[in-house]
Amino acid sequence: MYILEVANGAQHPAQVSPVLPADFRNITVKRYVFRWRPLVADCELYKLTITGSDDILGLVALIEHPAEQRIEIKLLTASSENIGQGKQFDRVAGCLIAFAAQEAMDRFEDFPAISLLPKTNLKQHYMNHYGMEDSGRQLYLEDIGLFNVINEYLA
Amino acid sequence: MSIKKILTENNGEQIADSMLMPARITPRQKAKADQELAAHRKKRQESMSSDDKLRYQLMQLKFKLENYIKKGHFEPTHHFGYYLDQYLRVTGRKKKEFAVDIQIHQTQLSNIIKNRREPNESLMIRLELHSRNMIPAIDWFKLHEMEKGYQIKTDRNLREREKQFVTHSLQEL
Repeated sequence: MYILEVANGAQHPAQVSPVLPADFRNITVKRYVFRWRPLVADCELYKLTITGSDDILGLVALIEHPAEQRIEIKLLTASSENIGQGKQFDRVAGCLIAFAAQEAMDRFEDFPAISLLPKTNLKQHYMNHYGMEDSGRQLYLEDIGLFNVINEYLA
Repeated sequence: MSIKKILTENNGEQIADSMLMPARITPRQKAKADQELAAHRKKRQESMSSDDKLRYQLMQLKFKLENYIKKGHFEPTHHFGYYLDQYLRVTGRKKKEFAVDIQIHQTQLSNIIKNRREPNESLMIRLELHSRNMIPAIDWFKLHEMEKGYQIKTDRNLREREKQFVTHSLQEL
């Protein structure tokens, strides 16, 4: 897994690991857009860092739905300096989505899936960007789509 | 950075490229959306042809096997025979049928699955050919290698048995 430094195209090895209680000292709304601490009760929180660095470049909140063999991406963001034009690193969100896909593959046997519930006017962009399927309100990835996103971002 | 600022300063593609901007819905609407999703997935899975299902399940097994090898941590329950048994399950072949498919004795196959007998390279090549190269022999080989590595690291009995043959060790030199 790697993220791309936009300025020079350098690839930086990255890793995803669980958010630790001490991390909340640095997880501010200003840098990570949403309020993450209240999600601890219902979600598994993970952070993306460049290997060997403590600086958190992205966060994702996951909810497992074992009966449906599905992992829901409740919330996801790159750190504010990595959003939009002028961002420092690319692929942060893709790596976190692929991480969720890999977790689904590891945890469920038959038809693992990941899903998310984006704002309606943004749905098409997630479908174009990550090959997601449309189920109405929610988008999802399963079977070949899961492999594709894993191969793209984690290989 | 506020959500409002992100939404006004970036287009949809830039947002999707960096974050999930979640829809705000009530728990009741979410429950309905979950039902809708489950129904959509069920319909999609039911519409898959048996060939598509087999291809997908083989890809899934290959993924799990390669991921296991990549992690490099051998678990005694996940030996060669375990994955061979998974291969039979995915392909829907009974042991008797599969033994005929790859021309080995059924007892030999059973013993390999139960981890009572070691696989050889011919078997690994036959497995590659049987899967039409979906799961290459090198994956089976690396899996077996992991198991051998674990055995040689942890086999105390073998160490005890071999002690008698080492009459001088470096400590005594």
